[in-house]
Amino acid sequence: MKPPDFSVLARVKAPVEQARGLPNAFYTDSELFEQERARVFNANWACVGFAKDVAEPGDATPVTFLGAPLLVVRARDGVVRVFQNVCRHRGMILVEEPRKLKGVIRCPYHAWCYELDGRLRATPHVGGPGKNIDPSINRSELGLVEVRSKVWMDLVFVNLSGDAPDFEDHAGELIDRWAEFSEKNLMHCGPESSFKLDVQCNWKLAVENYCESYHLPWVHPGLNSYSRLEDHYNIVERGRFSGQGTTVYDPRLDEGGRRFPKFADLPSKWNTAAEYVALYPNVLLGVHRDQTFAIVLEPVGVHRTIEHVGIYYAEPGVAENNWDDLRRKNAQQWRVIFEEDIFVVEGMQRGRQAPGFDGGKFSPAMDDPTHCFHHWVASQFET
Amino acid sequence: MQEDLRQLEGIDARILAAHEERDQPLLSTLYREAALVLEAGGDTDAACFYFTQAYVFALEAGRVELADDLWQRLSTYGREN
Repeated sequence: MKPPDFSVLARVKAPVEQARGLPNAFYTDSELFEQERARVFNANWACVGFAKDVAEPGDATPVTFLGAPLLVVRARDGVVRVFQNVCRHRGMILVEEPRKLKGVIRCPYHAWCYELDGRLRATPHVGGPGKNIDPSINRSELGLVEVRSKVWMDLVFVNLSGDAPDFEDHAGELIDRWAEFSEKNLMHCGPESSFKLDVQCNWKLAVENYCESYHLPWVHPGLNSYSRLEDHYNIVERGRFSGQGTTVYDPRLDEGGRRFPKFADLPSKWNTAAEYVALYPNVLLGVHRDQTFAIVLEPVGVHRTIEHVGIYYAEPGVAENNWDDLRRKNAQQWRVIFEEDIFVVEGMQRGRQAPGFDGGKFSPAMDDPTHCFHHWVASQFET
Repeated sequence: MQEDLRQLEGIDARILAAHEERDQPLLSTLYREAALVLEAGGDTDAACFYFTQAYVFALEAGRVELADDLWQRLSTYGREN
């Protein structure tokens, strides 16, 4: 297929009143999807998973992100680190499934052993049977390749290119905006608070849909019954993130009026407000007085995305049995809402096969968060 | 010598069973046991092979003291640093 003409991106980056959306090829072309790997994901801070999946020192979980084999490890000092999940000897994958490591990481091929901080500890028989040293093998040069990583809001972010600005530079405005949540211990509370959705759409459509409230009255009529369109506001931070907020968060999960405990010391704004932001490129976040959630978008292919959802609460006590029913109900409610979006994102994906579709026209009042994201994606293809 | 061979055959059988079970702590014990038999019989190269196997499984099992001891033995023979 002929590579796209990137000069059309100037139209994407025009002011929202004049702009058109990203061309079809950005949602359908495999070659462009490959280019996104380097330009959009590797060059920035991509979210690859949840720190709760390595909850204890010694926990290790493999993650394959856009084909790159990574290993997320919680080292003995409690710090989460991310390495290439690859032995420095012959490139063998080190860890195939989540594990609790009592000692070193041992390569299953020739048993080279690595400490959890990546240091190469042992090279058995490398100089011959029973000889574990060789003049040409300098262990200090052959440790696991560590990937720049950062944990924020229990999410694991990586910068595979190694040269993105610091995470705090990229997400700083959102960290500040949500300072009260950023500092909190988010409690995951159990397996019912995680689920996955397998969606037949390009990952960008999931971002674009999430960060606008325009579709709420039609796609989420249940939400609209208590959080009307006029209660919502846009959130736009050029080059960083975008989304929407509501001033009337009022969950009614329990007929008896039981409510999850609130995060401590939140400013009064959060008594009734909630915000939903897409932090570019690939994580969708929601914060409320009593819970947060994250949807990590895993781009599996140009036409397919897996949405990994994790819900978090304010207090460890919410993991107790007396909250089981409410946690299940809450997770199910969010699942229903996210599933309601599937037909629109999959419909937009199919729409991208229309030869004459010009990328779409934005409503300046309602689509600024979406256009902000299009603008950012287009900017990643500037050089 | 014959006794050593019989002893090693017994240990080898237990080693195979421990591999089936992926029992790293037991593997580190059994490989060390075999190494000691070979060391006592004067076969340093074979002993160091088995000490190395024991060392790796001790590292993997988090048996810190055993791993340190085995590293010391291998270093003494010039097989580790």
